[in-house]
Amino acid sequence: MKTEDLERQLKAANPYPPQALTALEIAAAEAELGEAIVAGPASAGGGVGAGGTKRSRRSRWPRRIGLAMAGGLAAIVAAVVLVFSGGGGEDGSSRAYAAELVRFAEASPLLLLEGPGWRVQNANEQRSREGVEGTMEFVTGKPVPYETIQITGTGADERASGLLPAAVRQRRVDLWWRPGSLSEVIGIQRRNPHPHGQDWRKLPVLGTTAAVDTRAEFYANLGRPGDRRMTAFWSEDGYVLQLTAWVPDLAAFEERLGWLTKVGTQTWLDAMPAKVVKAADHDAAVREMLKGIPVPSSFEPSKVPDEGLTATRYQVGTSVTATVSCLWFLQWAQARRSGDRPAELEAERAMATSRRWPILREMAKDGAYPLTIWQLAKEMPSGVWIHTGHRHPLLPRAEGLGCARLGLPLLPRKQKLQRERGPPLPPR
Amino acid sequence: MPEESTLTEALPRKLAEQRFARLYSEHGREILGYALRRCSEPEDAADVVAETFLTAWRRLADVPLGGEARLWLFGTARLVIANQRRGERRRGRLTEQLRAELRRQLPAEAPADPSGILEALSALEESDRELLMLVGWEELTPAQAAQVLGITALAARSRLHRARRRLRARLAEAEGSGCGENELEAKEARR
Repeated sequence: MKTEDLERQLKAANPYPPQALTALEIAAAEAELGEAIVAGPASAGGGVGAGGTKRSRRSRWPRRIGLAMAGGLAAIVAAVVLVFSGGGGEDGSSRAYAAELVRFAEASPLLLLEGPGWRVQNANEQRSREGVEGTMEFVTGKPVPYETIQITGTGADERASGLLPAAVRQRRVDLWWRPGSLSEVIGIQRRNPHPHGQDWRKLPVLGTTAAVDTRAEFYANLGRPGDRRMTAFWSEDGYVLQLTAWVPDLAAFEERLGWLTKVGTQTWLDAMPAKVVKAADHDAAVREMLKGIPVPSSFEPSKVPDEGLTATRYQVGTSVTATVSCLWFLQWAQARRSGDRPAELEAERAMATSRRWPILREMAKDGAYPLTIWQLAKEMPSGVWIHTGHRHPLLPRAEGLGCARLGLPLLPRKQKLQRERGPPLPPR
Repeated sequence: MPEESTLTEALPRKLAEQRFARLYSEHGREILGYALRRCSEPEDAADVVAETFLTAWRRLADVPLGGEARLWLFGTARLVIANQRRGERRRGRLTEQLRAELRRQLPAEAPADPSGILEALSALEESDRELLMLVGWEELTPAQAAQVLGITALAARSRLHRARRRLRARLAEAEGSGCGENELEAKEARR
């Protein structure tokens, strides 16, 4: 078949030819969409540091949040941070809080789980297209760690392993809120897998009625008498709220719902865990983490992306060390290409100190990211990464630190791409 | 609730709005067509349009001027679809009306495929299929398709040549004539 014939056939098979699109009567819907987009925040500045490179998290409500919180992803779930700067509170407290944290409090439903011995373990918020959504974890007793769940099987046969024992899981309650429609959220939940069938009840909460999914387990091997995952849904002030807990029975779940209490801003802020520090003051955290790290002349603190309103130390540490490392690798690669041996050596020596960077040493207790930087630094003099006996160029490996995403691509191919098309889309 | 305060440093808001309105009116339907041809459900296409133009709005200063803007939008829509395939479908309120209209106006059944070309196309690698669709359906030149895909024009031309060869071979395989040139083409498809 000739190319022209093939092209003709292909064109004829176009399921939506231009004339079909023109015939669609969707002008009003298009106009509404256009207006809604423009009504939202813009960042016409472009480039690194503009809105385009900000993390724009896609809503993972409700099932994916549940998985993330319960699974390994939760190890990097962001935490809200307190800033203690003196001053007085509405209830006589001596703690005052950074404006960012107060703003977070005011954007939250200001709820606490006031059960005996229960406290806030973590809190987080993220921005979605619809607005701000937030999460809080309440625990009793020892801290409840995050789980790394292994999923096997497919469809209705999906099974999970790696969960904490029931007695530990039942010491935690998760509360989520986001703007939206209650019926839509309940509809989504109803369509989620229910390996043990669906059993919805109504329970009172905060002066209203919650719809409670009493068989909210995702996987066939989870959920049995004495260990049920239940989720309550209700709405308040245009927000949908969702409370999830593993409980022995419905009465225990009702008890937890009954513990939910509306509090004032100061009380709510006072309940935030003191272990979490920062988010409200990203720049100060960056400055603190840069201590002991040699930076190239091209470095500016503003190059470290602020990944969002709230970030754990590990996340901020990753951004800081990746930015510095990428800049050193950029200098190193350019120096090698141009034969500028002093600049090359300067980068190698700077990265060789990474073993002593305080923030990396701190992060090494929680994850493997520092190991990657240390190994890359070690291999710089040879320029080669040896993996399973094979020798690979080092630069593509260093690119894996996320340099392109930071707007600092190392590989010429990616540099060209970013010159032409700007920084990549934010990750989802 | 607080508002995100990242608004426009390089472009004044009014100018940004004007530029966006023009971009949207000139290319909105094209991007919808692009998405409809690649999404299994029209509702998903509505989400792709929304996400693509939302990205354009947020990164307006990155969107090239003139004809290049169209290619930038195709490239962005392509990434949005890839993200959509990796993640959960989004059914935001933003696209409620558009989704409803598309659902009402577009046929629910799969498009007719008497020549079997759609089936042959779907059997190809994604990179081949995308290139063929960009040239065949979006009516881009190989050089323009190269820009959308982030490859060189030379690479696009040679990939297009190979993609056409594989498509022909898939069609030949489907015809099942089993002899002569068609057989050779079918063998090629299996490579």
